[in-house]
Amino acid sequence: MNVDEFVKVFGERFPEAEVRVSENKMPHPKRRVWVEVEREKFHDAMKFIRELDPKAQFSIIIGRDAGETLEAKYHMELFWEEGESISLIIGTSVPKEDPRLPTVTDVFPSALPYERENQEFLGFVFEGIPDPRRLFLPDDFPEGIYPLRLDETGIKPEMVKNAGHPYKIRKEGAK
Amino acid sequence: MKVPPTLSTVLGNLFKKPATNPFPVSEPVPVPEGFRGKLVYDVDKCVGCRLCVMVCPAGVIEYVPEVRKVTFWLGRCVFCQQCVDVCPVNALRMSDEFLLATTDKYDDNLRWLKEDEVEELKRKLEEQKKAKEAAKKAAEKKE
Ligand code: SF4
Ligand code: SF4
Repeated sequence: MNVDEFVKVFGERFPEAEVRVSENKMPHPKRRVWVEVEREKFHDAMKFIRELDPKAQFSIIIGRDAGETLEAKYHMELFWEEGESISLIIGTSVPKEDPRLPTVTDVFPSALPYERENQEFLGFVFEGIPDPRRLFLPDDFPEGIYPLRLDETGIKPEMVKNAGHPYKIRKEGAK
Repeated sequence: MKVPPTLSTVLGNLFKKPATNPFPVSEPVPVPEGFRGKLVYDVDKCVGCRLCVMVCPAGVIEYVPEVRKVTFWLGRCVFCQQCVDVCPVNALRMSDEFLLATTDKYDDNLRWLKEDEVEELKRKLEEQKKAKEAAKKAAEKKE
């Protein structure tokens, strides 16, 4: 399957999804498929991709604080056994007041660490996640603070430490 | 007993000279050309453009507005040479010096433009200003 075939097949199954193809220029010309699906259809979409290519390679989930919403983009490589693979970035977004997303660990088990990471750093809630523990943040890190959030639930200024420059320390005194 | 396959290599190596450099008895291994050692700052050349402050990834450099120069604390330097590359007047360069161990993180050897030097520069600038004003007054009197 190539990029155009994938766009066609996926568009037929999920007509309301937003699909676009970007093109990288030299030195590594590559076409990338970008898909935006609403939260309700997201799990179905992931299942559909897995059925299209059972060997799809799940790479990572990139989460982002987009102001009113939280965005999650799932990167994967499809049909990599057939020579040139399809690079797919499938994303969805959720409102901040209701940051629930279905887990995709039942479809792609390797999504688990990325879901845990996005939960602790951005405050997503992955429904049905088999292991919701924190992954990177220390156990004594305060609850309800999400370090990658850009709003008031992000890191507080008083949590930021700077070891200081000797010129400033001597001028303003150690803090 | 089976003879280990490495035996001949081990025995052969026993009769070779050690391939080590017994520093500090000997000189250290010479540095290659373009080696990035301790940063060297030329205060007189510096025009205070602050470009180096902007590119430094490690917070080594602080701007001193009173004298329009910069001050360095190399305890944080990661030897990336970005400040050297960006400086428009070549006031910065990387030297060959790499033996920088110290017991004090604020060691003088790790600083450029320390507080007392800043004070002295300030005094000099002050004097220059006075001299200029005096010259101006003298010129006005003549007219
Ligand atoms: S070499 Fe790099 S880290 Fe060191 S002062 Fe220059 S910019 Fe900063
Ligand atoms: S880039 Fe060069 S001239 Fe500009 S402030 Fe730094 S050292 Fe001075």
